[in-house]
Amino acid sequence: MNFAFNEEQEELRAMARGFLADHCSSEQVRAAMTSEQGYDADVWKRIGSELGWPALLVPEEYGGLGLSWVELVALLETTGEALLCAPFFSTVCLGGNALLVAGSVAQKQEHLPALAEGQLRCTLAFSEPSGRWDADGIASVATPDGGDFVLTGTKRFVPDGANADLIVVAARAAGSSGEDGVSLFLVPSDAAGLTITALPTVDQTRRQAEFRLDGVRVPAEASLGEAGSAWPALRKVLDLAAVGVSAEQVGGAQRCLDLSVEYAKERVQFGRVIGSFQALKHKAADMMLSVECARSAAYYAGCVAAEDGDALPVAASLAKATCSEAYFRCAADAIQIFGGIGFTWEYDPHLHFKRAKSTETFLGDASWHRERIAGLVF
Amino acid sequence: MKIMVCLKQVPHQDARLDINGDGTWIQEDNIKFEINSYDTYALEEALLIKDAGEAEVLVVSIGPDRVTQALRTALGMGADRAIHVNDPEIQGSDSLGMAKVLAAVAKEENPDLILAGLMSEDANYAAVPPMLAELVGIPHTTAAVKVERSNGTLTCDREIEGGANEVVTLEAPCLVAVQSGLNQVRYASLKGIMAAKKKPLDVKTAADLGVADQVGAGAAKVSVTQIAPPPKGDTAELVEGSPDEIAAKLVTKIKELGLL
Repeated sequence: MNFAFNEEQEELRAMARGFLADHCSSEQVRAAMTSEQGYDADVWKRIGSELGWPALLVPEEYGGLGLSWVELVALLETTGEALLCAPFFSTVCLGGNALLVAGSVAQKQEHLPALAEGQLRCTLAFSEPSGRWDADGIASVATPDGGDFVLTGTKRFVPDGANADLIVVAARAAGSSGEDGVSLFLVPSDAAGLTITALPTVDQTRRQAEFRLDGVRVPAEASLGEAGSAWPALRKVLDLAAVGVSAEQVGGAQRCLDLSVEYAKERVQFGRVIGSFQALKHKAADMMLSVECARSAAYYAGCVAAEDGDALPVAASLAKATCSEAYFRCAADAIQIFGGIGFTWEYDPHLHFKRAKSTETFLGDASWHRERIAGLVF
Repeated sequence: MKIMVCLKQVPHQDARLDINGDGTWIQEDNIKFEINSYDTYALEEALLIKDAGEAEVLVVSIGPDRVTQALRTALGMGADRAIHVNDPEIQGSDSLGMAKVLAAVAKEENPDLILAGLMSEDANYAAVPPMLAELVGIPHTTAAVKVERSNGTLTCDREIEGGANEVVTLEAPCLVAVQSGLNQVRYASLKGIMAAKKKPLDVKTAADLGVADQVGAGAAKVSVTQIAPPPKGDTAELVEGSPDEIAAKLVTKIKELGLL
């Protein structure tokens, strides 16, 4: 297992950082997150049509590039640094990932070419008002009716849910519990009976939505895999998504450290730059330790995801726990180093603090993943 | 049609620049480099011509191993092949020495069009492109802000004093040194980056090109004896007050200086 990025992967990161520096600056992030849509449609269009990022994981036979999770982790680290406002994570790591893991050839042929070109925005509707991230968190019901299924229930905290064209909805058979009876369905965002409401969540750089499923009828062909048996595939999708979030968190944590060090070298107090004070040096050193540990965990998980090995559940939880804590710690410490202005609108640490908090809980927080690792190991 | 694009790798615009030990150049260790931005516009112009029809785009650069990265970036953006002239004997060459190396490449490749940036962002001489054209024996123009092609003739708007443009026509083969901003430079796509590793990147030395005795510090007619940062002055005036007061004071100052 080689932890160093190769020449092409380094070039990919350099290209991504160049693009994001030009189109995802602090000012541009603020403009995008306060816009009606929550992202810059032109930037998203360029990401799809010019840069080809959504095509990364899509196999070549479906119009993609057939690259691996190593390249995706390398890319997501840069989008996390920049707090990219775009339905990239949701389309690639959630909705698109579900199609790749559980979709039939026909479903892939129908949707993946458009997704690869950035013309189809996807997401995954898993969590519900209970906020649980295990199989018992799925309470929405899929009821067979003739040749169709009728979906009822409420999905909450769906990333980029209000902008998705296609949603992968997790639901279960009536009367089932745990990992039994779970199904995944492809639901178009304009389906009858589906009400989508944007949620006033803390992190406006990645908005979330609530879906009310009030008798949404989908054909049996909309099921990803065999209806009632989707939990193993869904668990894998969630693990892979956790790897993706972890990579973003590493980027965000690194940016918090960079911003803090830059500021500490400039800000003068008591006649000297604050970076010369021992307490701040220690804080910055601790931040760096957190970032490097998180980076190692995320890169390892990316390698495991690329190899599609049995170690994915442990690697994904290890990365998510480590990176969630590192990002939140770095964001919180950045605010301390900046002092009072760190939480003002004009400076960036508060944006990272909110993204860190939002991603910390998304897909399960550090405690949840530690508990899961304990269960997997013993 | 074959287009040769001359690229130079220069220190990244965000790099912290320190002067080296003997005071003749900057310390190049541990700083990031990038393609000279003027040259990216030249490359984009070549790629636009390629997009519009059949053209082969060859990128050429001189420098140490790190220059490979710039050439790979250019290949990722869409160039077809690259030549890296990598020879420590070339170090210390003046503009004429560099132009001779590029001219040797051009004479081997016989391009229909050579595109280059107006100048490099590190040395700012703007001397290599005209010298290269003269050595190859082809017409050239500089500071092009618009390039149009028609049946082997190029019509270029070139920037001149006073905000005016001069319109010139050139018969191919020719060289055009472009001004920044004449197009929107593309980013390398993921597909392009992955395809770049399969594209040819040839490495040559000055000896391979037959110019070993014409390059390097020994052959240079111009040498840099010293570089230095601008001296710190005490004429800076700090304008204080509210934003409105500062703006008013600045306007007054600018008027006093006769700049408005």
